[in-house]
Amino acid sequence: MAPDRNAIEQAIKAKIVEIADQLGEDARALTHDELIPATGLIDSAGLLQLLAWYEHRFQIPLAQDEITVDNLGTIATMAGFALKKKGSL
Amino acid sequence: MAIPVHTPRVNNNDDEVRLVGLEVAVGDRVSRGQAVAQIETDKAIMEIEAPAEGYVLDIAAPLDSQIAVGSVLIWLGATPDEAVPQAATDLDTPPPEGAIATPTAKARQLLQRYGLTAAQVPAQGPRLTAAAVSSYAASQGLAPLAGPPPPRSTARAPEPTPGVPGQWRELQGDEKGMLATVTWHRDHAVPGYIELEYDPRPWAEYARTFAERHKLMLNPLLSLMAWRLTRLAAAMPKLNSALVGERRYEYAAVNLGFTAQVDETLYLCVLRDAEQRDALEFVNALLDLQRRAAVHKLAADETRGATLGFSSMERWKVSQHIPVLPPLASLMVAHTADAQGRAVLGATYDHRVLNGFQVVSALRKLGKPPSDTP
Repeated sequence: MAPDRNAIEQAIKAKIVEIADQLGEDARALTHDELIPATGLIDSAGLLQLLAWYEHRFQIPLAQDEITVDNLGTIATMAGFALKKKGSL
Repeated sequence: MAIPVHTPRVNNNDDEVRLVGLEVAVGDRVSRGQAVAQIETDKAIMEIEAPAEGYVLDIAAPLDSQIAVGSVLIWLGATPDEAVPQAATDLDTPPPEGAIATPTAKARQLLQRYGLTAAQVPAQGPRLTAAAVSSYAASQGLAPLAGPPPPRSTARAPEPTPGVPGQWRELQGDEKGMLATVTWHRDHAVPGYIELEYDPRPWAEYARTFAERHKLMLNPLLSLMAWRLTRLAAAMPKLNSALVGERRYEYAAVNLGFTAQVDETLYLCVLRDAEQRDALEFVNALLDLQRRAAVHKLAADETRGATLGFSSMERWKVSQHIPVLPPLASLMVAHTADAQGRAVLGATYDHRVLNGFQVVSALRKLGKPPSDTP
């Protein structure tokens, strides 16, 4: 069964909300097309935490040169990149 | 008019120092700030710099001799044939008849030990030195009232054991590493701490431009600051050295230790040969280390061997943190910015290797981004 894009986006959003909450920020209003690093909701260490979770959760080992805003800057692009790596796009 | 170069005080308790190096000879021309000699106490070696430009007229003490703090070591003149002043300096002038010389800290201890007062001991200058007290006591055949204080034992008292019920837990690998680090810091280093506020805006702009240019996902600010520190250490080898016994060991490479908090574990990720990388290589290599730290997959040699450290607690908005030195390192920079946006660069440093001036100089440079385009 093909991974569900909406479910992936929901999972990513939930993780961002969780990490932001640890930093005293509320990310519940974050939209799927907002550039995550630019929101200031989670810092670099939080983004590292998010990337580690993303790799583990979707079983996608990320190469260094894949960690760019083009591939992973928003919830939508993160979900799209996961699907692409899984061969579902 | 001739200019005296005085012997500086290195430690509060040392009234004399040993002249261990002379960089000049009589007749040499020196520039202001040029190192002219090195002096040594049992705790440190210090360079003496020329306070002004001029010609060396006279060197008052031979190499490897003990010289009094405050005495004139070198005379400088505007011309090489200027006369060496014959009048003694203030420090060589005995106090006026009836005046009591002020004892130095060491002299005070000796006065107490022999049961003397400062008024009883003839002084050679306005300060009563330990040497003068010892010499007077010997000339009077005095014995100390009490034996000399016993040497400080390095053995520690056995640790107390808990007196309440509980369970023993073996330390994890990272906890053992932290124990080794803080124990070295306690037993070997002589830590000092200095901090400076800096304007964070130029660095923030530099990092923003760098991130845009390279399409980075993570803000590279801290990595770039660590890279700048690495470059400074490559240019100032003392920052990247350690004291072992009575010799300073200058590292051939800069192994940059960078702290990473992962859940409950604090890692010091070590980026080896860091000075050989350009900014982007450095940022990517450090990101790679941090990513592996985030999943507890660091190799053994990536958690030890730091020769220099960088730590930031900006994430937690603390106003100050004073880091522990990694073993056999002399400088650990502490960065933070609090909730009010006040940005601070601090440093824990081994005072046996670095002095405050050197640390402040490094922090001032670190507080500004490179002038080139990121």
